[in-house]
Amino acid sequence: MRDKLLSLMLSLHASSRYQKSKAFVRGVLFDDTNRLKRIFDISIIFLVITSVFILIYEVNHTVPRWLDNYDIFVVSFIFAIEYILRLWVHNDISNLVYSEYDDALFLKKEFDIYRVLKKGIKEKLQYMITPSAIVDLLAILPAYRPLRILRVFILFRVFKLLRYTKSINQFVEVIVNKKFELLTLLFLLLFIVFTSGMAIYILEAGKNENITSLFDGLYWAIVTISTVGYGDISPVTDVGRAISILIIISGIAMISFVTSVIVSAFSERLSELKDYRIIERLNKQESFMIICGYGQLTKMFFRQDRFDIGAYVILESDINQVNQATKDGYIAINESASSFHSLSKFNYEKSNITLMALTSDDVENIYITLNAKSISKKIKVIARVNNPENIKKFKSAGADELLMPNLIANTMIYTAITQPTMYKAMHAILTGKSLANIDEVHVHNSHGLIDRTIDEIDFKEHKLLFMGVKRGSEFIFNPEGDFVIEAYDVMLVMGKKISIEYFKTLHEGRKDA
Amino acid sequence: MLRHKICIFGYGNHGKFISRGLDVDNFDITIVEADEENYKNAQNDGFDNVYLIDVTDDDEITNLTLSQDTQLVCVMDDEHLNVFLTLSLRSLYPDIYILSISDSINVTKKLKMAGANKVIDLYEVSANKIYNILDRPVATELLESFVLNKNGITFKEMVIPKGSFLHGKMVDDIDFASYGVLLVGMIDEEMGHSFVFITAGIEHKLDSGDTMVCIGYDDKLKEFERLITKPKV
Repeated sequence: MRDKLLSLMLSLHASSRYQKSKAFVRGVLFDDTNRLKRIFDISIIFLVITSVFILIYEVNHTVPRWLDNYDIFVVSFIFAIEYILRLWVHNDISNLVYSEYDDALFLKKEFDIYRVLKKGIKEKLQYMITPSAIVDLLAILPAYRPLRILRVFILFRVFKLLRYTKSINQFVEVIVNKKFELLTLLFLLLFIVFTSGMAIYILEAGKNENITSLFDGLYWAIVTISTVGYGDISPVTDVGRAISILIIISGIAMISFVTSVIVSAFSERLSELKDYRIIERLNKQESFMIICGYGQLTKMFFRQDRFDIGAYVILESDINQVNQATKDGYIAINESASSFHSLSKFNYEKSNITLMALTSDDVENIYITLNAKSISKKIKVIARVNNPENIKKFKSAGADELLMPNLIANTMIYTAITQPTMYKAMHAILTGKSLANIDEVHVHNSHGLIDRTIDEIDFKEHKLLFMGVKRGSEFIFNPEGDFVIEAYDVMLVMGKKISIEYFKTLHEGRKDA
Repeated sequence: MLRHKICIFGYGNHGKFISRGLDVDNFDITIVEADEENYKNAQNDGFDNVYLIDVTDDDEITNLTLSQDTQLVCVMDDEHLNVFLTLSLRSLYPDIYILSISDSINVTKKLKMAGANKVIDLYEVSANKIYNILDRPVATELLESFVLNKNGITFKEMVIPKGSFLHGKMVDDIDFASYGVLLVGMIDEEMGHSFVFITAGIEHKLDSGDTMVCIGYDDKLKEFERLITKPKV
C-alpha cells in the first residue's frame, strides 16, 4: 500500500501533463494577467447574480421549472467544481512527497509516506477553514433539495463576489491589524452583556412579564448596549433601570471607542492604500517609468515637458518631498527605491520598466541601480552620476544610461566662456529646440535607403545636415559620397523637427519603390 | 596676442574643472575663494592669482581691481553666496559680463534678477538628456561624445578672417564635407547678431567677421581654421 501510494505520488510529480494542467488551472484561478481568468471571473459573477435574482423572484412568484433546475444543477455544479479545483491547486502533495522522499534518500533515513500525506492534507484542511473557502462551500449547499431552509444560503453566493473586490480585502486587513484592540473590546462587551443580562433576569423575571428566560435578558442587554433600544423589553424595577443607565453609558463609550479604533487604523493605512492603488494601476501598463528621488533634476525633468512620458511614479523616501511633489501635481509615493521590497512590487515581468535613479547621492544611486538589476535585468536604468570618478562603478552595477549633470554643466560653462557662439548651438541642440534637432534614422531591413550611396540622397533638398552613420559600435563621421547605406545602420542627421520627420516617413519601408 | 581675462569666484566642484580647462587654453585666470580649504587647493594646483577674501564685503571685492574687459564667473558651491556675489558684482561693475551657475529654477530667476548676463542651469541639459534617451538613444550618446570630445569629434567655432577665400561666397557653393568638417550654423553679421542653424533653410553669404560653428575631427577642424585664413586654396 505504502509503496503503491509512493509510486503514484512520484509518477504524478514526474508527469508533465499533470503539472501542466495544474499550472493551467492555477493560471485561470489566480493569475490576474491571464485572459481566461477574466472570462472565468465574469462567468462566476454572472452565475452569482442570476442565482440571487432567482431567490428574490421566488419570494412572490412561482419560478419556472427550468430556471429552478438551472439554479440547482448548473450553478451549484459549477461552484462545486470551482471549490474542488481551488482545493486541488491550493498545495501540491505530490511535490511535497517527492521533496521529502528525496531528502530521506539523501539522509538515508526511513521514509514515512503517511506522515507526509498527513502534512499535505492538513494544509488542505487549513485552506478549507479560511473564510473564502467556507463561503464557497456554503454557496454549494443549497443544491441539496431536502434542506429547503438552506435556500437562504444562496445569499452566501453574494459573498463570493467579495473575492473580486480588493477594497474589502484591504478593509479586512485593516481590521485584522487592530485585532488586539478589537478583541479586548469584544471581551469587555461580552462581559457586560452577560453580567447585565443575567442580572436583569435574576432581578426582574416574575416581576416583568416580558422577561421569561435568560435569553430575554441577554437580548435586552444587547439591544440596550448597542443604543438601539427597541423598547419591547424594558426594566420595570428601579434596580433594573439603574442597570440600564450603566449599560447605556458603557455602550456609548464602547461604540465611540470601536469607531475611533477603526478610523485611526484606516487613517494610518490610508496613504499605504493610496500607494497600493497607484502601483496597481501602473502594473497594468505595458511600459512605465519609476523616477527615484524628487530633487532638482527631477523637477527640471518635469518642467521641460518635451513630450508625454506616459505612466510614471516618483519614489521618494522623504515624506516632505513626497508631499511637495503631490502638491506640484505629480504622482509620488513614499517608498525607498533602494529597498528590494519596494521595487519588487512592480510588475517587472510583464511591463517594460524604465527606472531613473536621480538622487543627489551617488551611493544611493548605485544602490538603486543594483537593486533594480537584481530584481530583473529587464529593467532599464538611467542613473545620475554626480562624481565622474564613479562612472565605472555605475557601469559595473549595470546602469544602461548615465546622466552627468556636473560634468555637462562644467563643459557648458567652459564652452560659454571660450566659445560663446558654439555654446548657443550646443545649448539649442542639447535642449532639443525645434530648429536644431540632432536625430537618428534607423535603417531597418526593408528601408528605402538601403544600397543607396550618400551622393544619391539629397539631404540638402530636405534641409538636413547629414553627419554620419553608426554601424555596429563604430561611428563613421562624414563618410565619402560613394559610401553605401546598409540595413541596421543608424544615420545621424540634423535639422528642423518637421524636416526629420518628413525624411523618415519618406523612406520608411520603401525598398522596392 | 591679447589673453582673455577671466575671474572665477569659487574653486569648488565647478570652479576646479573650469579653471583647469581655461588654464590649458591659456586664459588669464584670477581665482577668488571665500573658503580656506578651496583656496589652498587652488594654490596647490599651481594657480598664481588666487585670493582669499570675504565675498560679502564690497571693499574686499573692489580691492581686486577688476578691469572692465574681465569676464566674471560665479560658481561658488553655496548658492546663497553665489546670488549675493552676483548682486554685489553687478552693483560694483554695471557693464561687466557675469556668468553664474544655478542649481534650480528658483535660483536661476534670482540670479537673473541679481544681474547675471548668462545663467547656466546645472540640471537643464541633463533633464533634457532623459527625454533624448527615451526618444533617440543613439543620437544622444553620439551627441554627448561630441560635446565631451570623447572620440576626437567635436564642435568648434571659428571667425572668418579678413581676406579669407570664404569671403563673399554662398554657403551652398562651399563643399565643407570635402574639408572633413560640417558647418552646423553661423552668426551672419549681415542678418543680425543671432545664431542661425544651417538647416533653417536660409541662404547665407559668408563674409569676413561671420562666426561659424563646425563639427569634425579635431585635427581637421584645426586644419580648416588655418586654411580659411588664406585667400585661395
